[in-house]
Amino acid sequence: MESSVRQIADVTLIGIDGRVDHATAKAFEEVIRPHLDDTGVNPLPKILLDMGGLSFMTSAGLRVLMIAAKTCASQGRDLAVAALQPAIAEIFKISRFDLVLKIHPTVEEGLSSLSLEAATLWEAG
Amino acid sequence: MIDFVSDLARERGFGPKRIMEVELAAEEALVNILTYAYPKGAGDIEIACKGEGGSRLTFEITDYGAAFNPLSFPVPDLLVELAIRRVGGLGVFFVRQMADRVEYQRKEDANVLTLTFTKRAPRNWENSTHTEGT
Repeated sequence: MESSVRQIADVTLIGIDGRVDHATAKAFEEVIRPHLDDTGVNPLPKILLDMGGLSFMTSAGLRVLMIAAKTCASQGRDLAVAALQPAIAEIFKISRFDLVLKIHPTVEEGLSSLSLEAATLWEAG
Repeated sequence: MIDFVSDLARERGFGPKRIMEVELAAEEALVNILTYAYPKGAGDIEIACKGEGGSRLTFEITDYGAAFNPLSFPVPDLLVELAIRRVGGLGVFFVRQMADRVEYQRKEDANVLTLTFTKRAPRNWENSTHTEGT
């Protein structure tokens, strides 16, 4: 698994590539966890996970996402995922993760839905 | 072990998406064995491919740990709102969803889990998740 983090206006965009399975779920959690802290910034940044490069995901990874979604919901901030490959999108669908977090077809659409400012910055490159 | 499973699926002509599903079921089954049959640490797990080829793939996964029947696990309620939805419980759910057939037997001191896969996913997930979730 590989990851990258970018701050775009009030959205933290986290890229997750490769496999999130039993062996790498801990690393996945360590990427996400620091962004779930309540830093006192008001409002807290929204979080968008760009999963376009994700090729495999097991229940261990979904567990991390579920905990993140619960934390964000309790903080009143948005957490969304974007750009799932079709096979991964199906995993999300059968486990009804559409009820856990917002799923956007592309990063652009995810940003547009979360923040106009971030979407504009993204479009400007 | 996961490579053994996905290589065989590839050899049998399974498509990339179905190979991923076979891999997912196998990984979840193995992780459950490590969690429940061998909670104190390592133990032996054997995985064998049964049958004589064709479009069907059957794996027999054997461990010698504590008796544990994954099929006795409750089906998670997937349709409840986030605040009360339980974290976890998806591992066995994926095994059942991805495999065409799942059988468990306790044979003397062994847990034997048999997973059968055909080239195509077994059911219409959209329907099955609704019925299983309620």
